[in-house]
Amino acid sequence: MVSSQSSNITLDGEPVSFSAGETLYEIAKRQETIIPTLCYDPRLEAFGSCRLCMVEVDGIRNPVASCTTKASDGMVVRTTSPAIEKHRKVLLEMVASENPDIAVDPLRGYASQELGTLVDDYRADTGRFKGRQSGQSFQDDDNPFILRDYDRCISCYRCVRVCAEQEGDYAINIRNRGFNTQITTEFSGTLKDSSCTFCGQCVQTCPTGALADKKAMRAENDPGEIKKTRSVCPYCGVGCSVDLLSKDDRLVGVQPAMDGPANQGALCIKGQFAFDFVQHNDRLGSPLIRNEAGELEKTSWEIALDRAADGFREAMKTHGRQSIYGVASGRTPSEADYMMQKFIRAGFGTNQIDNCSRA
Amino acid sequence: MKISANNESIIDQWKEEPAALLGVLHAFHDRDGYLSEAVIRDVASGLKIPLAELYGTITFYHHFSQSPPGQSAPRVCTGPVCCLNGSAQLLNALKDQGATAMACAGRCDDPIPVLKGHHALRGTDNASLEEKATPLPARNPGNIEECIFANIRIPNRAKFEGYRDSGGYLAVDKMLNEMSPSQVLELMTQSKLAGRGGAGFPTGVKWKAVAEAPGNPKSIVCNADEGEPGCFKDRAILDYDPHAVIEGMIIAAYATGAAQGFIYLRYEYPQSFALLEEAIREASEAHYLGDGIGGKEFRFTLHLRRGAGAYICGEEGSLLNSLEGKHPFPRNRPPFPVTHGFNNLPTAVNNVETLAAVPQILAKGPEWYQSLGLNEHAGTKLISLSGDIEKPGNYEIPIGLPLRTLLYDWAGGPKAGRSIQAVTMAGLSGGYLAGDDLEITLDDPCIRSKGSFPGAGGIIVYDDSRNMVEAAHEAMAFFAEESCGKCFPCRIGTERLTERLARDAGPTSITDWNAEVDDIGTTMMATSACGLGMAAPNITKSLAKYFPDQVTKHVQKSP
Ligand SMILES: Cc1cc2nc3c(=O)[nH]c(=O)nc-3n(C[C@H](O)[C@H](O)[C@H](O)COP(=O)(O)O)c2cc1C
Ligand code: SF4
Ligand code: SF4
Ligand code: SF4
Ligand code: FES
Repeated sequence: MVSSQSSNITLDGEPVSFSAGETLYEIAKRQETIIPTLCYDPRLEAFGSCRLCMVEVDGIRNPVASCTTKASDGMVVRTTSPAIEKHRKVLLEMVASENPDIAVDPLRGYASQELGTLVDDYRADTGRFKGRQSGQSFQDDDNPFILRDYDRCISCYRCVRVCAEQEGDYAINIRNRGFNTQITTEFSGTLKDSSCTFCGQCVQTCPTGALADKKAMRAENDPGEIKKTRSVCPYCGVGCSVDLLSKDDRLVGVQPAMDGPANQGALCIKGQFAFDFVQHNDRLGSPLIRNEAGELEKTSWEIALDRAADGFREAMKTHGRQSIYGVASGRTPSEADYMMQKFIRAGFGTNQIDNCSRA
Repeated sequence: MKISANNESIIDQWKEEPAALLGVLHAFHDRDGYLSEAVIRDVASGLKIPLAELYGTITFYHHFSQSPPGQSAPRVCTGPVCCLNGSAQLLNALKDQGATAMACAGRCDDPIPVLKGHHALRGTDNASLEEKATPLPARNPGNIEECIFANIRIPNRAKFEGYRDSGGYLAVDKMLNEMSPSQVLELMTQSKLAGRGGAGFPTGVKWKAVAEAPGNPKSIVCNADEGEPGCFKDRAILDYDPHAVIEGMIIAAYATGAAQGFIYLRYEYPQSFALLEEAIREASEAHYLGDGIGGKEFRFTLHLRRGAGAYICGEEGSLLNSLEGKHPFPRNRPPFPVTHGFNNLPTAVNNVETLAAVPQILAKGPEWYQSLGLNEHAGTKLISLSGDIEKPGNYEIPIGLPLRTLLYDWAGGPKAGRSIQAVTMAGLSGGYLAGDDLEITLDDPCIRSKGSFPGAGGIIVYDDSRNMVEAAHEAMAFFAEESCGKCFPCRIGTERLTERLARDAGPTSITDWNAEVDDIGTTMMATSACGLGMAAPNITKSLAKYFPDQVTKHVQKSP
């Protein structure tokens, strides 16, 4: 439906126009008005559970959750007030009270600092509202990738929702209710025995570090600052954007780029966790050729390439051009693929060229 | 995965039914006494629900067990009234049979209810446990005219014949012959009938919204979850006048254009389940349900579904999720069920009492219904009265009746030698009233002026022998147990308030204690996502208001 009249709300005293379906939170964000959140992830359907994003709307008695409230024409909205700020502080003190402590290493995950940052911003007294702790860490899940440190869980269910809505795996869910809720797989088993694909998205959306990247955490005590370098995952043609985490020029972890055009925060197990080869002792640092005795020994690129070219020539001579078959790596960019098919077609005169990632 | 032949027939029988999941799970739970891993796996593949999701959903419900002895182990009510009547001892006495506690099971007028499989027993100790019918509501002493209870004492009223012989289904007959759907809507709006399930929303307005909303099929859902502690009125209606509810639903369907209906009945009412099943069968045989009702082109099918032990499933969004087989969290509002209800299509969710009033209103007219109230108030309200009172039970009061009249003239006042210290409103959700505030009239504006609300109409009486902090602790423990765990203020707040009322945690300085409890309560009331978390702090707020001395004594007593 196209409406000739433009729709406006008043946001903190300023008139702002909006398009149908926009939530108050989205409008505020567009206006660069900061509203605190914990259960929100822009990629997921708004859930409305942490209630931190509450705003006052004229004519509505209680504050409303801005993440789930759609704007309607003429709404008068205040994103802050002394009452709202007090509620936010009390809520943060309540949340802090359910966990053993709040500070976690940023290597745990992309969003792991969210709770700690808010607690600091609001100068929330983490010792107030003391009582029973919620969530129980799953110590026995011995998978090498994901730490399930639910002692730190605040039941925002971002992990459950990202697994369902983004990854489509539905591997994890919510057991029990109330203060006894607990993130779980079917029958409370390990991730390995579930439909988890170890994509790591739950880790990266977790706002407390309760789900954490075990591989990156190996470097928790290494000296040096964490440096982030934007790059592209080398594994396949999708080209997911990643931020490489390094300490003292050593690669220590990978995080998905939330603004990556191909992946928008998603990665698969390879891009997320399989980076050990980069600094592995067994990784080739120079070309190798076999000597007379059939053992591999180091050599220069010239000698190695000559040896390869000789091999191709020999095959052509003995078995003909149809004995040559080129398979390009799924990790190559398009330009390299082009070079490869040129090399096979023009160089050997055959159309036997393929790419391993066409499955 | 391959479904075992053993389980396949049950799954196939349910697969194509609307609101299948609860039906399937109960069928297996009844067959085996618990839900085994193999069954859960088969149901997940049969109904195409992700396994982890199904597992999580099952753990949400109190009464679904996943291991023996399961269903056959006794469940003993430890609700607020039963714990005044010795439920802790009874629970202990049944421990060797694997007994566990359950929240208020809706029989506070005849405690203590114990569930054993499909048997609803009651008794105050092991020896006296027996299966007994729901107590029949007593007539009021002033012979004040009733609406809902007017015919409930007629023998055989629960059967089709008895119902028909006492004027039943005449309203539907009349409607089908003489009225258009919009006339029915108009009449309901005029009557000023408002929701009796707690929120008090005008019924005519709700139905009109459903009638006007786009999308089909529309649904009528009868909310018979009655989970509020101290409320047992819907049970009396369902057991003695089930056809009145069915007739109310048929009228609602005609007015709104709904083609299907559901009765969502709480697990703790197995007797009502059997009675309703029979009533639905009778009404179908008499062609009041199904195709071509009254010889007209009017089709309405009615499905009975059982809950599985979750107070929050009485909240309409949570109820709809439960019916749809989803995790029963409440839904964000708006949108409301009138436009996005069952399967995201227009749905009228109405309480049992609301629906039972409808045939009477249609038969006798909106003016008649309005005139039943006192002063400017319209209609009647059922009150479930329990606790420290001579004659507990269900009473139908004219709205606006003084509380004192109900307590002393109708229900005989406190037990001999005792005086009334406090009463609850809305079961537990309205918190306590005490002192001068007992001089209220029972109507929405008056009760709200005291910071409470009438809700579903449960009133629990506490006499002067009771420790109100202990009562408040029991109440808050209920809310903590029943919090769904979706939103932060309620999930954490109900737990922290319970701990403070039990002195398991929290400050020992009364100033700090009050500040903490008040801050938690204020934030819960303002920011919780549904009525449970908004209402729970009424307990602590009213405790602080009326009983500051008991609170101080509680906080300062040496541990
Ligand atoms: C925590 C909670 C529990 C509720 N339980 C019930 C219930 O057991 N029965 C009921 O009819 N309404 C219950 N309600 C109210 C329903 O959400 C809904 O307002 C009602 O069923 C609408 O019917 P009515 O308009 O006829 O009252 C509950 C609400 C909340 C917030
Ligand atoms: S790693 Fe991916 S698939 Fe596994 S639980 Fe997390 S989100 Fe789901
Ligand atoms: S594990 Fe993390 S993302 Fe999942 S519910 Fe807990 S705090 Fe939220
Ligand atoms: S208020 Fe309580 S019951 Fe309601 S949504 Fe929040 S946690 Fe669930
Ligand atoms: S961000 Fe809106 S409720 Fe959490």
